[in-house]
Amino acid sequence: MLGKRLIGVITVHGGWAVQSFGYGRYLPLGRPEVLARNLDRWGADEILLSCIDRTSSGNGPDYRTIERVAAAGLTTPLVYGGGIVRSQDGVAAVSAGADRVVVDAMLRDVPAEVDGLAERLGAQAVIAALPVSSGPQGLLHYDYRARNAAPFAPLILDLLRSGAIAEALVINWRGEGGTGFDLDLIERFPDPKIPLIPFGGLSNADLLRTVLMREQVAAAGIGNALSYREHAIRLLKRELGDIALRPHSFNRWTAN
Amino acid sequence: MSARLVGIVDYGIGNVASVERSLRMLGFRSRLSHDPDVLDGCDVIILPGVGAFPGAMEALHRHGMTHYLQERAEAGKPIVGICLGMQLLADRSSEIRPTPGLALIPGYVEPLQDARWHIGWNTLEVLQDDPLLMPGDGRSLYFNHSYVMHTSPEYCIGVARLGQPFTPFTVAVRRGNLVGLQFHPEKSQAAGLHILKQVIEGLGHAG
Repeated sequence: MLGKRLIGVITVHGGWAVQSFGYGRYLPLGRPEVLARNLDRWGADEILLSCIDRTSSGNGPDYRTIERVAAAGLTTPLVYGGGIVRSQDGVAAVSAGADRVVVDAMLRDVPAEVDGLAERLGAQAVIAALPVSSGPQGLLHYDYRARNAAPFAPLILDLLRSGAIAEALVINWRGEGGTGFDLDLIERFPDPKIPLIPFGGLSNADLLRTVLMREQVAAAGIGNALSYREHAIRLLKRELGDIALRPHSFNRWTAN
Repeated sequence: MSARLVGIVDYGIGNVASVERSLRMLGFRSRLSHDPDVLDGCDVIILPGVGAFPGAMEALHRHGMTHYLQERAEAGKPIVGICLGMQLLADRSSEIRPTPGLALIPGYVEPLQDARWHIGWNTLEVLQDDPLLMPGDGRSLYFNHSYVMHTSPEYCIGVARLGQPFTPFTVAVRRGNLVGLQFHPEKSQAAGLHILKQVIEGLGHAG
């Protein structure tokens, strides 16, 4: 049976893994490849490398960091997000070592590129990053660059429904770095058929259980909470024994 | 005995570095190439694949690999298709537009029936007690696809299902020395590496 996933999220700023607090304050954690290697050993179901300064700086994807992380010899699927604006950016990110890509600015700036990306990588490799918050009339889609929030543009909803995007990373941007998740972000999501990956503030097993029990939720992203203890993914999976997850295990290859 | 030499078909599609690194981890030597002479010198050929069927077939044609793979398969060369590489072994696919495949294993590729996507870790159910796959029976492996290969039961050696009420679908095929794996063994942690090792060593000896 297909299990729900726990995705270890590594936030990267300036080439360094950081602990992020509301995408405003950053505490350096070390080299991304070291964190990725830990998540790989601890049995994460996917690893998301989120380079949060690439779009705003206009520097495009951080291929060097992807290559460094991929060269760590991971046997866990690697998802990359940051600076992907054109379809060839996404293709190049995969060539550099990613297995899937997250798009954000592309959705707003050049939505026509999403179809091209899906055709070249397969739509199953494409995830939409949606920083959202709850408003009186429904969910609000936050724009990091303009620093404002507005209802979802119809074009973005059409893209999500078109089949060119497999999953939506629902980013609780207001609670990111904190210890809580606004369930409205799942329950008021404008389309109940789009698989969701909640992220931001999912700091303990109880919170994770609450979101993973939602049918629409395919996976959950965990960031800062993994920085505080060894084998955090394994321990969380053990605590979430009642959820249909891949069993927790230590990922170590031995020839015998 | 020297380590098996594995050729990885380089046709500009996907993340082949992961496959290379996994092979190295398993103690195999590898060559990434679309040069027939280089691939001929390998014990086993891996056909990787990420993306959509039409683009991948187009790339195989462009690199002169279509006829090469068909001829070598006919001659009994061990070939392993991974993910989209497995689907390319079929006769045709309806993904995006009708496209002929390599036609090495009778079958066709269509969208999944019970869901739009099959993304994540799922349990492999091995059929026919195939010795190449048996170490993976009941293990969780990583899948990432939305189309699935339909083939005759004689070629189907592994299935998965989305849940109990749903119909099982083919995720592993075999026709002699041709093997297709819909999951990513190189991205399925220790369980995937065990299967990859078993398949390459099993086929390598058969070849």
